[in-house]
Amino acid sequence: MTNTWYLYVFFAAALVFAGLLGLLGKRNLIKLFIAIEVIGKGISLLLVGTGFAKANILTAQALVITYIVIEVSLVATALALIINIYRHTKSLDVRDLAKLKG
Amino acid sequence: MILQTALLIGLVVFSVLAIALKDLLKSAISLAVASLLLGIIFFRMNAPYAGVFEISVVAGLITVLFVLTIALTKSGDEVRESKLVNWVFPLVFVAFLVIDALVMKGLLGKVPALASGAETGAFGEVLWRGRTLDLIGQIAVILAGVFAVLALFRKRDKHD
Repeated sequence: MTNTWYLYVFFAAALVFAGLLGLLGKRNLIKLFIAIEVIGKGISLLLVGTGFAKANILTAQALVITYIVIEVSLVATALALIINIYRHTKSLDVRDLAKLKG
Repeated sequence: MILQTALLIGLVVFSVLAIALKDLLKSAISLAVASLLLGIIFFRMNAPYAGVFEISVVAGLITVLFVLTIALTKSGDEVRESKLVNWVFPLVFVAFLVIDALVMKGLLGKVPALASGAETGAFGEVLWRGRTLDLIGQIAVILAGVFAVLALFRKRDKHD
């Protein structure tokens, strides 16, 4: 049982770390948001994998469905924000946000 | 088990591609493929409801939202990424994978056993009875999202 759990936790950690690297290194706002999505994928894999290994799959599923619904609303809001930022600064570069005045 | 491992490897590869690819449209599609693979993994782990949500909502709806945003922000591809990241990213990622493979098994052994038995009953019972508070939270979050989008796209009044 630990072996199955280990497999899922290993890949979930890899996904979360890839997302963190993307967040640290990229400058495009949409890319940054894709990195956040990848971290979210790692978390949902961790939840369902742990539920599967510990025979608690129903609770894990309920939690993942909650997360997915929240993710949609998060994505809609964040992409609306990104479009607004693009209209203001005419670029998607995250460094331009530091230069905003007035 | 082998198929499941292959699916997990595919999930990580497409997620890394989604972050690393230069073209935004290609990376959005890579993210959709990763979601599809995650949905299949959920199906194979006896979590069909989570799989359906993952494939229909994340691989479908969120991809559409991403493609729409990329279409609305046309010069998005012109952001110059730092060149250092392009070769540091794979190196650090591979180093992390090695450390992950070496350390994670030892760490998992130290996690205390959770005091929970096998679940009984149907999924609907767990979702509607056991996690009612989560559902109320979901409704609140969806409403908050709707109002946020409305506020962000509101038109200017004539008086302004």
